[in-house]
Amino acid sequence: MLLLQLLVNGILLGGMYLLLAQGLNLVFGVMGVVNLAHGAIITLAGLFTFWFATTTHQNPLLLLPVVFVVMLGVGVVLQRVLLEPVVGAGRRAELLSLMVTFGLSYVLVESGLNLFGSQYVSLPDLQTTWTIGGLAVNEALVASGLLGAAISGALQIWLRRTASGKALLATSQNQIGALSCGIDVRRMRAFAFAIGAALAAASGVLLILVIPLAAPTADTLTILAFVIVALGGLGDYQGAALAALLLGLVQSFVGYYLGGDAEYVVPYLLLIIFMILRPQGLGKAGRPIWSDKR
Amino acid sequence: MSVAAPALDTASSLALSLDNVVAGIGPLTILQDVSLTVDRGGVTVLLGANGAGKTTLLRTVAGLIAPRSGGISLFGEPIAGRAAHLVARAGIGHVPSGRELFPRMSVAEHLELGGRLCGAARRAELRDSVLALFPELGTRLRQQAGTLSGGEQMMVAIGRALMTDPRLLLIDEPSTGLAPKVVLSIFRTLPQLQRQGMSVLLAEQSLRSGFSVANRAYILRDGRIVLSGTPAELGADPSVVKAYLGG
Amino acid sequence: MSLEERRIDTVFQPPPAAAQEHAPARRRRALATTATAIVVALALAAPLFTSGYLLQLATDILTSIALAYSWNLISGYTGYLSFGQVAFFGIGAYATAVLVVHTPIPWYVAIVLAALLAGILATALGTVMLRLRGIMFALGMLGLARILGVLAQNIPFIGGAVGLTLPAQLTPIPVYLAMAAATLVGFGLNLFFSRSQWGLAAMGVRDDEGAAAALGVPTVRVKVVSFVLSALVPAAVGGIVAWNRSFLDPPSAFDPTLDLQVVVFTLFGGIGTLWGPALGGLILMLVGEELWAYVPDLQLALYGLLVIAVVLTFPGGIVGVANRFGWLRRRPILAPAAFPAVERPAASSRAASGSDAVLEVRDLTVRFGGVVALDRISLTVRRGETVSIIGANGAGKTTLFNAITGFVPPTEGAVLFEGAALAPVSAFERARSGIARTFQIPRLMDSMTVWENVLLAAGNGRRAAHAVDQAAWALATVGLEAMWLEPAESLTPGRQRRLELARALALDPTLILLDEVMAGMTRDEQEEIRAVLRRLKEFGIAAVAGVEHVIAAIADLSDRMIVLDQGRKIAEGPPEAVLRDPAVIQSYLGELQ
Repeated sequence: MLLLQLLVNGILLGGMYLLLAQGLNLVFGVMGVVNLAHGAIITLAGLFTFWFATTTHQNPLLLLPVVFVVMLGVGVVLQRVLLEPVVGAGRRAELLSLMVTFGLSYVLVESGLNLFGSQYVSLPDLQTTWTIGGLAVNEALVASGLLGAAISGALQIWLRRTASGKALLATSQNQIGALSCGIDVRRMRAFAFAIGAALAAASGVLLILVIPLAAPTADTLTILAFVIVALGGLGDYQGAALAALLLGLVQSFVGYYLGGDAEYVVPYLLLIIFMILRPQGLGKAGRPIWSDKR
Repeated sequence: MSVAAPALDTASSLALSLDNVVAGIGPLTILQDVSLTVDRGGVTVLLGANGAGKTTLLRTVAGLIAPRSGGISLFGEPIAGRAAHLVARAGIGHVPSGRELFPRMSVAEHLELGGRLCGAARRAELRDSVLALFPELGTRLRQQAGTLSGGEQMMVAIGRALMTDPRLLLIDEPSTGLAPKVVLSIFRTLPQLQRQGMSVLLAEQSLRSGFSVANRAYILRDGRIVLSGTPAELGADPSVVKAYLGG
Repeated sequence: MSLEERRIDTVFQPPPAAAQEHAPARRRRALATTATAIVVALALAAPLFTSGYLLQLATDILTSIALAYSWNLISGYTGYLSFGQVAFFGIGAYATAVLVVHTPIPWYVAIVLAALLAGILATALGTVMLRLRGIMFALGMLGLARILGVLAQNIPFIGGAVGLTLPAQLTPIPVYLAMAAATLVGFGLNLFFSRSQWGLAAMGVRDDEGAAAALGVPTVRVKVVSFVLSALVPAAVGGIVAWNRSFLDPPSAFDPTLDLQVVVFTLFGGIGTLWGPALGGLILMLVGEELWAYVPDLQLALYGLLVIAVVLTFPGGIVGVANRFGWLRRRPILAPAAFPAVERPAASSRAASGSDAVLEVRDLTVRFGGVVALDRISLTVRRGETVSIIGANGAGKTTLFNAITGFVPPTEGAVLFEGAALAPVSAFERARSGIARTFQIPRLMDSMTVWENVLLAAGNGRRAAHAVDQAAWALATVGLEAMWLEPAESLTPGRQRRLELARALALDPTLILLDEVMAGMTRDEQEEIRAVLRRLKEFGIAAVAGVEHVIAAIADLSDRMIVLDQGRKIAEGPPEAVLRDPAVIQSYLGELQ
């Protein structure tokens, strides 16, 4: 029974983790940029949700669509102002865009610190537990896990089956080809970043329901998202799903047997193990994170 | 069923006209004072050895590179400096050297993406024409482009460009990396397109393939046009080989 | 080719041309050295006339500068953005603290030991982590500090979450002096990087790792060593800071915002430059001192905004801006006062093997996924021979080259060089063993001058004087000595090609593989290259394989010509015979009819 419990928790956790990582994958695929402010966006959204829930006593899930849409707009602005100018830097673009998002992450973290303080916060109200057939299932976890998986699924469907989604996917695979089809690649870049940021914010809203968040540790979420993406193989969405699931399961078991601190270390260890054993990741279509120049 | 869009512009008999175009990348100037034309419904071939500037020229016309000076007109409409995606929307189809396909998308999706700017009806028309032109693609619609052979990829690239309903087609070195038989079959499609009113600017390294289809030819060397004329004129000119190979 | 024509001001500027020695420049340099010496002396003597608050401020400034200098080594010179400074800082702090608390070792020895420990850990860590691409490496390091903090919390021996109480010795002067020493070491390492072949190799890794490997640079070794060197000073600094405090716990030892500081200071001053870290650290610390009193809760945000602002407006930092006015420019590495007189170096240092065959390719097959790029190719190149390989685009020439130089592994078959199989050897080792190549699209190091590009290749395994001679000879042979101090990227395409050739020559190769070396060259430039190719036989360069579209330019220089088509060899023999072979003509040479 314990086993089943941990399994279920792990799967639900995986759903949430998947959402966490999707945005990063998308942005990286289309722009070749890793958004180091990813964790900060997640955390800020989560903290805001906490504030909302405790001040207005409304269901925090109401915020989900709101935050998503708002972040889309903010994301476009951020991309146009901060990242688009760096695109033309050629070889140095990677380095410079990393530093820009690094700077951005601290701006966001400081804002979070000033607005919400430095303490961990979480929403206890939704921590009710259902008992289904002997299994104790946390309501918040169920909501978050399922919603996380659902949103990820919706993203995939949008990318693969709609015209606008395919345009984005095409841009991530070949910019010159996309331009020849009349696709405004600049707009796609802004779009991709905006969606990535919106997804991050959405996952923040869900995350605060399940785990405590705090502004100073925002970067741990960036790392977590990165680990999932790396384990799944860069640019591979199915791989990311597998990786998220794996991580969720591992975290679930480790958290129970070894305690909270170990959970911090686990993603990292997994990354190192995979780097050594299977650098191309879990998925089939992903690219390895090995240096491509040896 | 015609692939070429109905000609909207009766004023210009030239599909494409370049006037003293200077273009380059970063600190390098690659094209020096290039002028050339493509007749409405004609095929102009641009010849030259590797590094002569053919790809740069085509990319400049396609909007991937902004010219430093000079004019580019598409059926009389100035397009120099316009962004690449807008050039595509203005009616120029680009088949880049290297094909630039989407490796993890299917053949059908390539065609769909090419036709994204058209209405559904027109898109269906275009699709039928493309598949009539390249029947082999019909059996591979679901296959991912990255797994296709070189020749099939070339067909997808041309098909995708045709799906954008262009008035002018830019084809960059279609014979690259392809078996001679495949090259022949590709080149055989050009007269078909011509018959439907399409205008084509073709960049080629191989003199023989280039001459066989064109009604006008230019030889590019070190970024300059060094010879021009009809294939008949150039074929009879002994200095052609010299100009071409530089040796 | 870039889609975007717009360029923002770039980082890592090459030194400008014509910066070399006339009397004024020499005088300027002497002035600079004296000024530096005075500043250093003043800094060391500071405790004599300051105290208390000012001395602490000075110590803090030096701390920042020392950390910035070490970050500059791995992220500036080597180009691998690392967020690992605070990890080593914390390791150094804890190691020192533990040694001081539990052993009778004096603190200054403890600090050195802590630095050594950090070096050992960095070696292990670097060997694993530096295989990652730049972005991944940065992200990987991002988590390290957190992990270490968590680990530290769970190890009771070092105090766990509660922390370690230290026998606080409030000795500001020794602490200051120790920090000054650490800063000097950091500066010294940067100086070493900016003036030596090693630093050049690091910059090569930064600019184009693949090309650097093809030039014989042991890229992994360079990266790891740079990484290790970048870990030593932070560890020492951590130790000194720990000593200076009375209490050490995980949050203070592994405070991630330290990484932000390091990045801001270095970036603001000028990443990858000799003076950037010092300038950035000094200015920002002083500004900060004033500023944080007014806006204590905005420090991180302001630093973050500054990073963004610098990247978007002047990514080269203050030094980058100064460069535009002619100040603080980087000196070309190992460049003598004037271009050296050149004599052909003594006979090639390579011992010739007995066998006549320099290169032997046996049934080489290369497959990429389902595509067969090369299909059972066999060929032999003998010493001193010039063999040209021709074929249409996509016939497999570049793949063949890549297989011979180790960029692409053979699916089947073997490549033998000087009789020995090459198979598992990495790209740089092949380069060092005597195979040089040029690339179809020149891959020059754009942050370096012409001279430095060649020196990079000449430097492998050679001592400085020798390398300088070799580089000079290579440049003179291709006729580029007049522009030896021009930035490499400012050269015309023809000259860039020649520069590539010079780099290949500088490797002292037995075999040079020339990939479309004539393409894009004017008639005159082709003549110059032909002259070089003719001399290759004199130089003892055993064999050259050329690949050409401009066939006429190379036909008469070739002893033999081989024709590839669709990955298969379809003809081989003397050029005149091959060019008349109907199969060849049909597949490729229609235009010569």
